[in-house]
Amino acid sequence: MSILSVGQSALNAAQVGLVTTGHNIANASTPGYNRQVVIQGAVGGQDSSYGFVGKGTEVTAVRRVYSEFLGNQVVSTQTAKGQLDSYYSQIQQVNNMLADSKSGLSPALQDFFSSIAATTSDPSSAAARQSMLSSANTLAGRFQDMDAQLDEQRQGVNTGIRSSVEGINIHAQQIGKLNDAIEKAMNNGGNAPNDLLDLRDRAVSELSKEIKLSVVKQGNTFNVMIGSGQPLVVGNKTYNLSVAQSPTDAGRAEVAYDIGGKSVMLAEDSITGGTLGGLMEFRARTLDATQNALGRVAITLATEFNRQHALGQDQTGLPGGEFFKVGAPLVAPSSANSKGVNGSPMGGVTASFNPLATKSLTTSDYKVQITDATTTPVSYSVLRLSDNTAFGNSPGEVDGVQFKLTDSPSTGDTFLVRPTASGASAATGIRVRISDPANIALGNSSASGDNLNALALAKLQSAITTNGNASFQGAYSQLVNQVGNKTRELEVTSAAAGQLYSSAVTAQQSESGVNLDEEAANLMKYQQAYQAAGKLMKTASDMFDVLLSLGA
Amino acid sequence: MRISTNSMFEANVSRINDTQSSLAKLQQQISTGKRLLTPADDPLGAAKALDLNQGQALNTQYTQNRASVKDALNLQEGALQSVTDLLQDVRAQVVAAGSGGLDDSSRKFIATDLRSRLQELTSLANSRDGVGNYVFAGFKDNAQPFATASNGAVSYNGDNNQKLLQVGASRQMAANDTGDAVFMNVPASLVYSASSSGGAAMSSVVVTDSGQVKPGREYQVTFDTAGTTYSVFDTTTNPGNPTLVTTGPYNSPQTLAFDGIEIVASGTTTASSKIDLKPVRSQSVFASMDDLIAALETPVSTPQQRKMLNYKLSAAGENIDNALDKVLTTRASTGSRLKELDSLDDAGSARDIQYADQLSTIQDVDYVKAISDLSQKQMMLQAAQQSFVKVSGLSLFNYL
Repeated sequence: MSILSVGQSALNAAQVGLVTTGHNIANASTPGYNRQVVIQGAVGGQDSSYGFVGKGTEVTAVRRVYSEFLGNQVVSTQTAKGQLDSYYSQIQQVNNMLADSKSGLSPALQDFFSSIAATTSDPSSAAARQSMLSSANTLAGRFQDMDAQLDEQRQGVNTGIRSSVEGINIHAQQIGKLNDAIEKAMNNGGNAPNDLLDLRDRAVSELSKEIKLSVVKQGNTFNVMIGSGQPLVVGNKTYNLSVAQSPTDAGRAEVAYDIGGKSVMLAEDSITGGTLGGLMEFRARTLDATQNALGRVAITLATEFNRQHALGQDQTGLPGGEFFKVGAPLVAPSSANSKGVNGSPMGGVTASFNPLATKSLTTSDYKVQITDATTTPVSYSVLRLSDNTAFGNSPGEVDGVQFKLTDSPSTGDTFLVRPTASGASAATGIRVRISDPANIALGNSSASGDNLNALALAKLQSAITTNGNASFQGAYSQLVNQVGNKTRELEVTSAAAGQLYSSAVTAQQSESGVNLDEEAANLMKYQQAYQAAGKLMKTASDMFDVLLSLGA
Repeated sequence: MRISTNSMFEANVSRINDTQSSLAKLQQQISTGKRLLTPADDPLGAAKALDLNQGQALNTQYTQNRASVKDALNLQEGALQSVTDLLQDVRAQVVAAGSGGLDDSSRKFIATDLRSRLQELTSLANSRDGVGNYVFAGFKDNAQPFATASNGAVSYNGDNNQKLLQVGASRQMAANDTGDAVFMNVPASLVYSASSSGGAAMSSVVVTDSGQVKPGREYQVTFDTAGTTYSVFDTTTNPGNPTLVTTGPYNSPQTLAFDGIEIVASGTTTASSKIDLKPVRSQSVFASMDDLIAALETPVSTPQQRKMLNYKLSAAGENIDNALDKVLTTRASTGSRLKELDSLDDAGSARDIQYADQLSTIQDVDYVKAISDLSQKQMMLQAAQQSFVKVSGLSLFNYL
């Protein structure tokens, strides 16, 4: 009788083992799956005069093999890798744009100055003047092209931010639902729903690809926080992120956090890690800086060239007119500034370049803040955003940019000033203003052979004109060098982060992943156990037959 | 250590991927011949290559400028060569005209010949370059610089600007010499201008003995109250307290002789009468020739006229020599500029090779290394693929 029940318990256990082995084999390549093992124990023996007689076996649990420590490592390395990968893949496009020596800025710049030099030998030649004008247009066009490519990439970043935010919301909702399901399952019988736990861990891992997060375990649920502590998932409740326009730049997508029916803008630098963090960092560190640097070359070139051009005379005997249009600084009031009754801002800032100080121009943006609106004139301070250097006491001019307040701003109003951002843009930046070759001022007089101003213009090519003691070409080379260096750095760091991630995954997998050979062995083991249990039951049956045959 | 079947596959696949991508990059480097494919491959090198490119472009520009300067100077040299020949001819004519056996009509023949040489000289001075610009006009090169007035006087309408071109990083070179410097502004010898006031008049200046002439001296002739005595002062150095040269009785018309010069003064003079005699410092080659022609065309009958002719011929001789000197000096400077251009060309092409060399070091692929890397990576990829197939074929399930 008890032999049969011992056999029965062994048969059951072997069956659970076979099913679990089968489950492991079936999910060997399921992402996020952790192998499961059967925990089996002997059933306590029955006391008899000669000792404890065993009563067979029982399955105490089917448990997943999961190390929280290794799981967390995968998540954190994944976040770092996601950020570096997304930054790297974005900067590669800028790097590739600058790489092409045929279509970069350099050849156009060199052609332009060569065409000026070509006019020095015969300044009255209409052909030479026309070709100088054409290469000036080519140069302006090249600036605009490159700026347009950077703008396109800015749109790409906006799209990336949007899809990343969507992904974050979807994963957050999954985690919320899984929290709920797991809570219910655990409350029912107390056993851990292994596959649901796997799904939730996987959702957390997917979320960590998009943004850096911290998980706080509370009972059976995960609470997920992002940024500077904003809760994204609490129990079965989730909060959404959304995409909003920057208050100072309509073309710039920012991330907002929706709470209580209101959207609160998240600071750009509070979003780190993952694809979203990478996009934010790329935009702030590389894209803005590159566009500003390109704009700065355009602005210094246009200003310096115009200045020298104005010193000469054209063929009609007039002083040289504006040769290039110089892009003006962009000024944007914060949407939080004080507004008048008609809803337009009460105060304004105008920014302009000091044409004699283009050498001081930086590639940074500036923040103008009204410090005291009650004084006359109104006091303000300027903050250089690249290194957070403050210039107090209404400085008037900072780094070659002149600031002036207009209308009646209120204390606390802020304005974002981007001096060089649009210097190379097609809409408002560099452009050739002269269309008649006769209006190029190549001489100091209108004499047909006077090439004095052409000589001076040609000399600008190698003159020190930009901050950091560089020529126009030198300033551009610096930009190429900076982008190249950053790309290189990211190539190395993202590869390193990839290594860290894959070793974390390997470690985690070596603990929790399915090894098919092991499962094959388990299969044989449980099969044999099943066969042995059957044999045991057969033996019991045979013994019973012996008993029956005694009476016959 | 336990290895999950997934990890094994993933690790192998990613290793094969990595090898494949580095193979692709090597292949790209070999096929383009460039080591530097993007700035990230060598950020410093990429920036340096751009700067070198600019250096190379500038160098090429200087080469082109040197070629323009060379063309212009050669053209100028050609014109000045003809001018030299012409002036040497004129110089010989001056000597011929001075021989005693010539009569008025023979001198007229010479004068006629010289008049056509003067026209030739003017047209040489109005030489144009290949695109029609005037060579000796300075900046005003679209208008004819030398014009002959109805009285035969030649005037210069250009300016005295030299067109400079950048022929080296720190060298600008003049591509022309102006007509003003070459033809107009020639030092003059033995030519004087005189002005008189206060009733005095002067009819002629003749240099009788050029050996005694003190070049550059200025003189003033004054008279006493009665108008019977003249005094010649040298006013060159100290006009307030001039040095007395000679003095004598005045009886109109009176010939005054001093320092190898003879002037004839006339008129009723008083203490306020004055004659100022100043040497002409410079005179155009055209004026010198015009003077010469005028002298040859003037008939000679009196001793005074003979004296005048001799003086005019010796002055013309000196002044044509001066003009020739001026042209030769200009040609010497043209020649040395051309020579400098040659040596700048040599330096320029050496620099071009340097730039190309540096650029190649930065940008170009080292084929030996690249190809050996390529075969190494190829081997690695093959090994990875083969071992992957072997290892993944090992499964316990094969034996069940």
